[in-house]
Amino acid sequence: MNPSLSVSPIPCPFCGLLCDDLEVAVVAGHARITSAGCARAAGLFDVPGQGQARVRGLAVAPEVAIAAAAGLLAAARRPLIGGLGCDVAGQRAAIALAERVAGVLEHMHGAAQFRNTLAFQDGGWMTTTLSEVRNRADVILFAGTDASAFPRFRERLLTGASQFGPARRRILALLPPSEALPEELGGDLVIPCPREGLAELAGVLRARLAGRRADRDPVAGVPGERIEALLDALRGARYGVLVWNAAELDFPQADLTVAALVDLLKDLNRDTRWAGLPLGGNDGGTSAAQVCAWQTGYPLRTALTASGPRYDPIGFAAERLLARGEVDALLWISALDPARLPPAADCPVIVLGRADMELATAPEVFIPVAVPGVQRAGYLHRMDGIVALPLAAPLACDLPGVAPILTTITEALDHAAA
Amino acid sequence: MLRLKGGRLYDPARAIDGQVGDLYLEGGRIVAPPGPDGVIDGEIDVTGRVVMAGAIDLHTHIGGGKMNIARMLLPEDHRGDPVPARDLHGGGHLHGGCGHAAPATWTTGYRYAEMGYTACFEPAMLPANARHAHLEMGDIPMVDKGAYAMLGNDDFFLRLLSSGADQRLINDYVGWTLDATQAMAIKVVNPGGISAFKFNARNLDLDEAHPHYGVTPRQVIQALARAVHDLGVAHPLHVHASNLGIPGNADTTLATMAAAEGLPIHLTHIQFHSYGTEGARRFSSEAERIAAAINRMANVSADVGQILFGQTVTASGDTMGQHRNHRHASPDKWVVMDIECDAGCGVVPFRYRDKNFVNALQWAIGLELFLRVSDPWRLFLTTDHPNGAPFTSYPHLIRLLMDRDFRNGKLDEIHAEAAAHSQLRSLAREYSLYEIAIMTRAGPARSLGLADRGHLGPGAWADVVVYRDEADREAMFAKPEYVFKDGELIVRDGRVVKVVNGALHALKPEYDKAIEQPLREYFDRYMTVKMEHMKIGDDEICACGASKLIPHKCGRQA
Repeated sequence: MNPSLSVSPIPCPFCGLLCDDLEVAVVAGHARITSAGCARAAGLFDVPGQGQARVRGLAVAPEVAIAAAAGLLAAARRPLIGGLGCDVAGQRAAIALAERVAGVLEHMHGAAQFRNTLAFQDGGWMTTTLSEVRNRADVILFAGTDASAFPRFRERLLTGASQFGPARRRILALLPPSEALPEELGGDLVIPCPREGLAELAGVLRARLAGRRADRDPVAGVPGERIEALLDALRGARYGVLVWNAAELDFPQADLTVAALVDLLKDLNRDTRWAGLPLGGNDGGTSAAQVCAWQTGYPLRTALTASGPRYDPIGFAAERLLARGEVDALLWISALDPARLPPAADCPVIVLGRADMELATAPEVFIPVAVPGVQRAGYLHRMDGIVALPLAAPLACDLPGVAPILTTITEALDHAAA
Repeated sequence: MLRLKGGRLYDPARAIDGQVGDLYLEGGRIVAPPGPDGVIDGEIDVTGRVVMAGAIDLHTHIGGGKMNIARMLLPEDHRGDPVPARDLHGGGHLHGGCGHAAPATWTTGYRYAEMGYTACFEPAMLPANARHAHLEMGDIPMVDKGAYAMLGNDDFFLRLLSSGADQRLINDYVGWTLDATQAMAIKVVNPGGISAFKFNARNLDLDEAHPHYGVTPRQVIQALARAVHDLGVAHPLHVHASNLGIPGNADTTLATMAAAEGLPIHLTHIQFHSYGTEGARRFSSEAERIAAAINRMANVSADVGQILFGQTVTASGDTMGQHRNHRHASPDKWVVMDIECDAGCGVVPFRYRDKNFVNALQWAIGLELFLRVSDPWRLFLTTDHPNGAPFTSYPHLIRLLMDRDFRNGKLDEIHAEAAAHSQLRSLAREYSLYEIAIMTRAGPARSLGLADRGHLGPGAWADVVVYRDEADREAMFAKPEYVFKDGELIVRDGRVVKVVNGALHALKPEYDKAIEQPLREYFDRYMTVKMEHMKIGDDEICACGASKLIPHKCGRQA
């Protein structure tokens, strides 16, 4: 239903950067990137145009699979509407379905997302967007990440032309001792620090900014003189950007680490300008949180109950719901990346996935869906939540998108209830 | 054809002030009386009822990135006002959501309609965030929508201005922006100040040079006001002036009015810009001086941005101002974001307290402005939702304006020193229903150039509201008896009975598309988005969620 983007170049939907400079040609039924892009995009743009709907592994007509899915959801008391790897239209349809079946909404990257969300809801933050980084940042501090999960980060943000004079940037990094900053990033100051130590280090940096002395040396393994060097670099920035990737802060209570980094940013802004750049947004994660927030008031981990949306940022983690048997069906949506498979579940599983998704065990229902941005037009948000881009369909196919399938299921449930 | 029989009509666009008459609705429009041969298939007796056009809010932050940040930031506020889903047998489905300070989009639409509003305008749409804003607004049902594109802090414009570019080039850029973002007007927020904050400036006065570009806020306002005028945009340049919230900012506000040099200019949420530095607390009302200037200058219009007491959240493009205000955040959490070499946003929750001197005086200043500005055609009723208060408090605000005893009763409750400082008690004016209809219907429609909205004349779209004439104006305006949208009955006794989808109003200006050449080069060279992908096509409006696009031509009205 979205108008197709006919102009070239086109956006790539396969990571949170949403690079929109790709030239794509269709050669013998395959989409080939002919300009820009990255290895990840090249692999994911190549998707088969046909797929087979299945119920318990047996090939069926799509409408049979849809009816089976509707039946399972009708029988469930609290299904988990998970994955949510799709475009804005798919997110809208997923929420409408969740409202119909009193489902819980959670994105496949919810664990990482909520490290940020919990910190954000506790203290807020100061952040920036991709074009600001490219044009303004004269100091970049990588905290616990080298951004390599986003293949074109350096090319798109650090090496492009800047409006404000020479684009010489100081690159600082806090990375675990076992990890090196990729050489092309040209780190000016790389300080070994375990990710679990970032919060403690941020706290001491704040104390030093406030004119107090550190009460210990080293801090999180970082010797005092290196902390002072880092402090000088932070203070010396005209526009500094602190980059973190919540997915890489994979340890308990990592939201407190995000909060500590945010507090450091706020303190730095008393005298100079700094902003955060939280990396993320893969597999439609940003769109999922944005659409859920505007429609329900809450950014996912929300159950649409009879008394209204109910938000539980701890209790509604997918992993926890499944492990404790608090959901009795799982609808898994993954239309962008075939490697994003549903988690193990002791309840009936319905999968809306790319046609090339390979599942080790057959779910109750599998419905192949068109890939937004390759096979179907749509909208998707970039990681910063600001820019929403129109997706193209260079390889249009007959497979339906996530949205029409979910809408058909919802209507089937409406009819059954009427 | 439906006849609304015997109501008292308040239709200021046609100078009708409470006269009794019949209204005829057909095909979504108001039509002339059909004559003796006409076929009336329905009739509602509204004898003794007050009948007005659907209300139009020309400044309400209902959709766009900053509102979603506000929603995400305040789960505790939503928890106090959960909204369950509801099926309206035959009338559609009401989605669940939440209300209060930063309501869900669905709830926003339902509650506006339930108060008799049929159109809402989002005043701060960042071009970089425009598609997102349209997606959000697409999920606001019931009411028509429109948005003002923010300019004046974007680096492309500031480069143009500082390089001494010809005004025609600036006009083309402004025209392109209106077109590309599907906007209805142009707004400037803290002119140049949002950009200056990115260069670590913490203040930017009207005649202070921008730290990088060297241009002043005055130059920004003049270039944009000229462009808006030259393009023939109906609504004047919508200005959130410099120095919002700072004691003594009334001088800046008066100078900003003068900076327009006679061109039309709209000063928004002027309550926040009417402060002096008198008194022991160095905070005082300058409402009298500001109102006098508005009364004197026919090229100036304003909306008030009234504050009302209680919890809310402030959401603004003014990062410089919001960063300065963060120490007042309640609860203590806040967001400031620099955005895409375009603008920024800041979100700071606030709790206005009637026993707090500053808050109490802010309340009185807003009311003073309402009562001192003599021409309701140039003053609009807003709380700058949600910045001064949630839009759901409009009925309370209307009662404060219409009922002096009620107002003075509230004045007795606020911080005594603030009440003593204010001249509010000496102002005897009570707004009439006719004046309320101007401020909330006819005035906004005229200001926005909506020829067939905001009035009850034949040919107008049938957005019609019927109220019971209750002495308690708050109760009256909170719960209309009937609301019709494009001729359909959508609300009965203050409750939605039929879900409809609103349209999007957007301007279609004429400009030289050659501006796309330097723009494309700029985007290719510096931005992380292509210029082509910034543009929102007409065919995207329904995909975003609106029922249809209502295009408006530019051109000076006769």
